[in-house]
Parts: sequence; C-alpha cells; structure tokens
Amino acid sequence: MFRSHIIVVDLGFGDAGKGATVDWLCSAEAGLGVAAVVRFNGGAQAAHNVIAEGRHHTFAQFGSGTFSGVPTLLSRHMLVEPIALAGEARQLAALGVPDPLSLLRIDGRALLTTPIHIAANRAREDARGSSRHGSCGRGIGETAWYALEHDAPTVSDCLHPKVLRVKLQALAAHYGPLIAPSEHRYEPIADLVDMYSEFALAVRIVGGEQLARFARRGRLVFEGAQGVLLDEWRGFHPHTTWSTVEPRNAHAMLAEIGTTGDVLGVTRTYMTRHGAGPLPTEDPTRHLPEPHNTTGRYQGEFRSGHFDPILLRYAIAVSGGIDGLAITHLDAPGTRYAATVYAIHDGIVDHLAPGRWQDLDHQQRLTDLLGMAEPILTEMPEDVMPWLEQELDTPVLLAADGPTRKHRTPTTTTIAAA
Amino acid sequence: MGYGNWDDTAYRAAKTFRASRGLDDFGYTAEMRGVPYADWQAHPTLDPLGVAARECRDSAEHGNSLPIAVLFDVTGSMGRVPRIMQSKLGKLHGLLRRKGYADDPQILFGAIGDADCDRVPLQVGQFESDNRMDDQLRAILLEGGGGGQKSESYELAGYFMATHIVTDAWEKRHKKGYLFLIGDELNKPKLASRHIRSVIGDGVRRDISVESIYRELAERWHVYYILPNQSSYYHDPEIADHWRGLLGQHFLKLDDPAAVCELIALTIGLAEGRVDVDSGLADLRDVGSAAEAAAVGKALAATGPRIRALPSGRN
Repeated sequence: MFRSHIIVVDLGFGDAGKGATVDWLCSAEAGLGVAAVVRFNGGAQAAHNVIAEGRHHTFAQFGSGTFSGVPTLLSRHMLVEPIALAGEARQLAALGVPDPLSLLRIDGRALLTTPIHIAANRAREDARGSSRHGSCGRGIGETAWYALEHDAPTVSDCLHPKVLRVKLQALAAHYGPLIAPSEHRYEPIADLVDMYSEFALAVRIVGGEQLARFARRGRLVFEGAQGVLLDEWRGFHPHTTWSTVEPRNAHAMLAEIGTTGDVLGVTRTYMTRHGAGPLPTEDPTRHLPEPHNTTGRYQGEFRSGHFDPILLRYAIAVSGGIDGLAITHLDAPGTRYAATVYAIHDGIVDHLAPGRWQDLDHQQRLTDLLGMAEPILTEMPEDVMPWLEQELDTPVLLAADGPTRKHRTPTTTTIAAA
Repeated sequence: MGYGNWDDTAYRAAKTFRASRGLDDFGYTAEMRGVPYADWQAHPTLDPLGVAARECRDSAEHGNSLPIAVLFDVTGSMGRVPRIMQSKLGKLHGLLRRKGYADDPQILFGAIGDADCDRVPLQVGQFESDNRMDDQLRAILLEGGGGGQKSESYELAGYFMATHIVTDAWEKRHKKGYLFLIGDELNKPKLASRHIRSVIGDGVRRDISVESIYRELAERWHVYYILPNQSSYYHDPEIADHWRGLLGQHFLKLDDPAAVCELIALTIGLAEGRVDVDSGLADLRDVGSAAEAAAVGKALAATGPRIRALPSGRN
C-alpha cells in the first residue's frame, strides 16, 4: 500500500488524527517496518492523541510511534523545549515505556524554545487582549521570530554552557521590556543552563547524517504537526503558525538523502479549528464530544464545522498534491453535510486559488474572502468513502471509525489498488 | 505565572534528565556504600569540621535574603524525609517564591545523627537559592545509624546554627531566619564539649546545657521542630513535652511525612504575615498538594492562631 517513506500531514487546521495515524503506521499490525518517526515542524505545542493497548498519551515532542518502540528524530526544523520534553518522558515512563529519552535523537541545529520565549509569548498575547491570534502560549512563534534576527539558542548550545549562557542572557535582555511589566516570569538563567546541560547528557544530539542512518534501517514516517491550513505561508493570514506545516521540508530532507516519500493527508469527516481564524462551515449548534481538546487560556475555544472539500482541495494543492487519504472520525454522529460552494455577495466560490509562495497579501485576501463566505451545504451519501475519494480526487488508504489503534483499517480500495 | 503547570520547572526537568542517566537521587550515599563503614565521612561540601561560618548574603538579584535552614534527622526510620525533601524541593522553593511567602528565600540543608555512635553525626550545607540546593541534598550521606537511646544530637546542630552562621538578614535588618529541625527523638541530655571539638572543631572545654543552646538560637532564629508520623515515638508524650518545653508552640506534629515541604512553606508564609491559614491551604491544593494540605491543616490547627506569635514563647 505504501511504496516508500511516508509523510503524514493534516489537511485541515490540526486535530485531524495524525497521531493515531502515525501510531498505526508504526504498529506491528501495519507491518510497515518503520525505522523512525521524523518530526519536521512545530514544537512542544503539538498534541497528538494516541490510544492503543489500553494506554492513552498526548504526544507533543515524542513521535507517535513511541508505544511501538519506534525512535523519534527531532529534525533541524523542530523547535525543541526540553522542560516539556522531560515532563513528557515522565508521563511515558508512567505508561510503561522503558527509558523514553533513549528513543530520541535530536538534531543539534534545532532551535531551543526556552521559558524566556514562553513568558514573552504569554506577555504579548495578554497584551493583544481580545484580538488574539490563537496562540497556544508555548513560545513557538517567539522562538521562530527571534531566530530570524538574532543568534538564537540551539540544541547543540546545550553542550556548551558558556555559549548558551551568553545567548540566554541576550534573549532575556531582548525580552526584558516585554516581560517585566507582565505577570510572567522564568527561572534564573543559571538554573536553566544547569538543566540544559543535564538535557544534553541525557539525550543523543545528532547531526544531519542521522536521517540517512535511520533510512538504511527501514521506512521513515514524517509526522507533521498542526494542519496545512495553518501553514505560515499557505494558511489564512494572520491566523497561522510560525511553521512550515505543508510537506516541503519533509520532501527536502528526503531529497537530501536521495530518496522520496508518499504524502498521506489526514482529515476528519468534518472540520475543526482550535482558536481564532476563518472556518466557513462552522456550525455552533454542533456539540460533538471532544475528550482531548478543550478550551485553552491562550488557544481559545475548540470549534467545529461541516466537511469542507473546498478548503481540503486547497490544502492538497498547496501541499503539492498528496498520494493518499487517511479519513478519521467516520463514527462521529451528525456529520452528514458538506460544503459544495460558498455564496459571496452576488457570486459563488468553489475553488481557492493558491497564490505565489510567501505572498501574504494573497493569503490575507483569502482570509477576507472566507470571512464573508456562506457555505451552501449538501448531504453526503450513506456510503461516504467513494464520494470522499471523488471529491478530493485521492484514494483513501486508511479509515478510522473510532479513536483507538484497533479502529484503524486499511481500506478495500487500497487493497484493490495495491 | 510563567508556567502552565506547577511541575514544569527547570528543577524537575534536570532531575528527570539525571535520572535517565541512572544517577541516584542520593549519589553520595550510593558512593559511600562501596566504602568500608569505618571510612565513611561527610561530603566535603557538608562537613562542619573547621568551618568558620556558613553565610546567607544578599545579592544584586536578591536584595532581601531570608535564611531558611532545614536540618533533618537521618538516622534509621527518618530516611524517608530527605527523600521527600528532595522530591519536593522545587515545590518548596516555588511556593515560597511564586506565592510570595518569602521574597528571596535561601535554603540550607543539613543532616543530624548521633554523635555518640555515628560516623557522621552532623552535615551542614550552604544557603542556596537555585539548583545547587539539589546538589546539596544529593551530597547528604544517609548514614541510617543512630543508637537505641531515644536521643540524637540535635543540640550539636543547634550549637552550629547559633555560632557558625552569618546572615545579612540579621546583620543588616535585624531579621530572624527560620530553622526547621525534623526528627522523632530527644536532644542528648547535654551538649558534650568533646562532640563540639571532634565534629565542629571549636576548642570548647565545658559541656553546655541544652536549654541555653536553644535560648541563644532563639535570638536569631525562629526555631521549629517537626515530628512526622512514621515512628513509634509519634504518640510518645515524652517527645512532645521535651520539645514543647524548649520551643513552645513551635513544636509541630505532622500526620503525613509527605507534607513536610508544604508545612515548612506555609509556616513561613504565616510567620511572615504573607498568607492566612485558609488561603495558604488553598494555595497548596492549587499546586496539586491536596492530600498534603489536609495534613498541614491538621498540624497547624493543633497550634491554632498562636503560630503567628513571633518569638518562640518563653524561650
């Protein structure tokens, strides 16, 4: 069913089920011989729920193949937050994963998200008041933004406490005026440096050669974080994340080691969005149970709307096309409708045109357009899978009618096609 | 404040990373296990012999240092308390700082044994305000000795605290520090001068009465004795009478040894006038110490509002 390495991306705004998909791909049941899960975007704000063999964990920095003992490579595109990583390691150990930190390889070039970034993020978001961007309050945006203009701390700096101290002091000085008047604080830099030194001794910090090393052992699964519709350049500006969510970085990493991968796009049978920004098919009367997604202080409420092939086709287009679909939440009740077109003023829209890459004016125009879009809904057929394949012009490779690993099955279509 | 979860601290993270490398929480004790008992000695950073003074000083960053000394009995059954202190250290310091119970707490850890029969009857670290506190705890030798005579050398520790500690709090502001003794036995009947000579190195020639040690100590310290419930002496009236006689209402009985950090934090918050019992207990529940809050509430209820009486009673 999969010919090569697999890149898993969420085609919506996140929360579609990437974690559970990656868990299944890595499991013995799937038999795909996965050598490593590679994280290629985002940071500690990821929340990938996996329920398998009576265990539940919300994966943030560890890859979602961890329950199957598959190692994780945090690539240079990741924003690494060691304090949260330690907390996650403790949670995984409590769930019976032996020595979780030994499963990690971390690229030394990855940026470090520190408590200083987190305090700055929260201070800035508090100051925005009611016009929040929908930030998670985990310092992701500040990490990416600071690194554009400054010599930002990286994972490999943790091996050099003197270098790290200087960088942290510069970071603290930079953010002093923002943080000081806020309610947010962070621990003394000396304590942070000590902790980061311990971190460097406890995990394996690697270079660019690690990816090829894993690839020689077996299949790679690239686990995307968040959703393509939140992509920094392709999402609906300004309600985006400071991260390249679409698969270009994963493709580039595979190209560096002389190989390619298939893209598996994940979507629910309806749309969700955590926090602010356009969601044209939003229906506030829908109250689906959402056990693992709650309203966050910094992220805002969890919203839900009808299936939206217009948005999903846009996500597929800006991803450079995809090779297969993983459809989740087929068991969710009351998800019978889908948008056919949007009504706008006196016209209709059935297609969102991708602009030039990194053209934020274009993205802002899309946001404005979606802000006035009224979706025209149609009822989805009872046998929804062929219809979904047709609407998105992509075969469904994996279907899930529940939250756990057991609920995931490769589809008959897939078997026939293979 | 800066963290979504109380446990998201650099301290906890560092501990997790260390543990993953298989480092024992009490690395020095583990090291000594490989050495013949006769050669056991205090870690150099904790050995009181020949120490002129441990200092608690203000710094540019922390201009209002408040000295807090926590000395626990490390004999036999008390071994659990240092482990609890270590596992909850981040919480103690966090409560003091973030809940505003104390501005610039500096904490010193020490350990008390039996000078009549232990190899290492007294260990005293330094005042620290950061992760070095954790290093100090890891360097404590949990000798686990003690005699069977229902007494430990608390008075020897008291002597050191009264005579070998210098604090800016006292020298600049005339402000007392906090000394918590945690144990389950009596003082020795008197402080033997030979113990002072051999353990601390002062050329003292006359034995000293226990009462006079605590009287002198009370001039610069709020002294508390915490008796955690884990030994046969918890209900022994002789222990309670002995310590109440010395410290008055500053003798605290604690049902649940796991709550010792929380009890210390709240006791300081109360004495500093920064919090009342009810909101302090609510703070504890806030930070996930619900069970501990119940034990602390009980420990403090036994002394009631008198806990706010500042000087330690008649002493």
